[in-house]
Amino acid sequence: MTPAPVYTFEWAAVWRGLPYLLQGAGLTIVISAVAMALAAALGLALAVATQTGGRIVRSAVDAYVELFRNTPLLIQIFIVYFGLPQLGVRLSPFLSGLSALVLYAAAYNAEIFRAGLEAVPRGQHEAAQSCGLSPAQALRFVIVPQALRIAFPALGNNLVSLVKNSSLVSTIGMVELMFVANDISFNNFRTFEIYGTTAVLYVMLVLALTRVLHAAEMRMARVAS
Amino acid sequence: MSVLWPSLPYLLRGAASTVVLALAVLVVGSALGLALGLLRVVPWRVAAGAVGWAVEVVRAVPLLLLLFFVFFGLPALGVRIPTFPAAVLAMSLWMAANTAEVVRGGVQSIPRGQYEAARSLGLGWLRTLRFVILPQAMRRMLPPFVGLCTILVKDTSLAAIIGVFELTRAAQETIERTLRSFEIYGAAAVIYFALCFPLTRLAARLELRLGRP
Repeated sequence: MTPAPVYTFEWAAVWRGLPYLLQGAGLTIVISAVAMALAAALGLALAVATQTGGRIVRSAVDAYVELFRNTPLLIQIFIVYFGLPQLGVRLSPFLSGLSALVLYAAAYNAEIFRAGLEAVPRGQHEAAQSCGLSPAQALRFVIVPQALRIAFPALGNNLVSLVKNSSLVSTIGMVELMFVANDISFNNFRTFEIYGTTAVLYVMLVLALTRVLHAAEMRMARVAS
Repeated sequence: MSVLWPSLPYLLRGAASTVVLALAVLVVGSALGLALGLLRVVPWRVAAGAVGWAVEVVRAVPLLLLLFFVFFGLPALGVRIPTFPAAVLAMSLWMAANTAEVVRGGVQSIPRGQYEAARSLGLGWLRTLRFVILPQAMRRMLPPFVGLCTILVKDTSLAAIIGVFELTRAAQETIERTLRSFEIYGAAAVIYFALCFPLTRLAARLELRLGRP
């Protein structure tokens, strides 16, 4: 019997793939940043709406949040990309992927901001009012800035999840790190090398992001005290 | 709408497979995760450090990549795994890393005084962990663990991408026949919601009852 062949790790495949993978990682960063900016704006708007709006607004936001948090992101992506054209709404892979990521992350952000707004002590509202600020001004200059600081760590965690979740949009052909990895490894069949390199890139990306977020959090705590 | 009713039994069969997949991962992943989480809090520095590092790496990698790595990457090394076990393996790694983090968080949230009190009663570290720390930590671990299970049920949908038959795959196959993506994916979303929403509510209620000391 011949001995089992020993696997040889082909570094050349890694070096050849690396420039493309790095480009893919760049796209992952851009997509995550854009999606998070939009999702933060939408989430904050929804959270403020639940604080100031009536019952109907609150129920509508609740329904949105629960619906998007309790169904898989992959299904949401498929509904936007494959389902909506049936209703006459045809979006490119890029716009489909981006809108699904934004809607999904915004549902979590809305909950995070709501918790942040509720954690601002009652006295702050009263103090703002007794300074003569209108409710809108109180929200804008007193309540929301404090809520943002409280919400920051949870928002950071959600951003990290978003970076990882953005890999799902590769399934509808939106180009980012995961898509590039599949593209290369299905062509050269060096799946182990390419997916391994991709994993290293994701780990570096996520660990760097966590460090930056942690440093920002520490800095905010210092400034606040 | 008319395509929905004939397709429903097939989707429900997919949902049953989703539940089986999630349960398999739940058993394997959380048992491994509990062991890893405890290894992080025992006084063996090297083991704790190595486990901490491994957990951080697995948690930093997207689940989809773990799945592809196990299903497409390992065969290159001569390890060929069929779709269902490959999905269970990849997802169990993910589940184990996240469970380990929940366990560590729960154990480390117990005040130092509890350790000191147990030690001064003459309990060794193993008995301290077993009789003093873990019973208290369990209460704090439960809400985030149930939350993790919700994410697990949602993430089993990724198994469809490597061809495991579960709810998302059942939806895809139905759409190949009927071409009604909106209705069928919508129905799949409703079924996922029915599976996940009770878990979300349970996590919230546990957090109210157990989360605050």
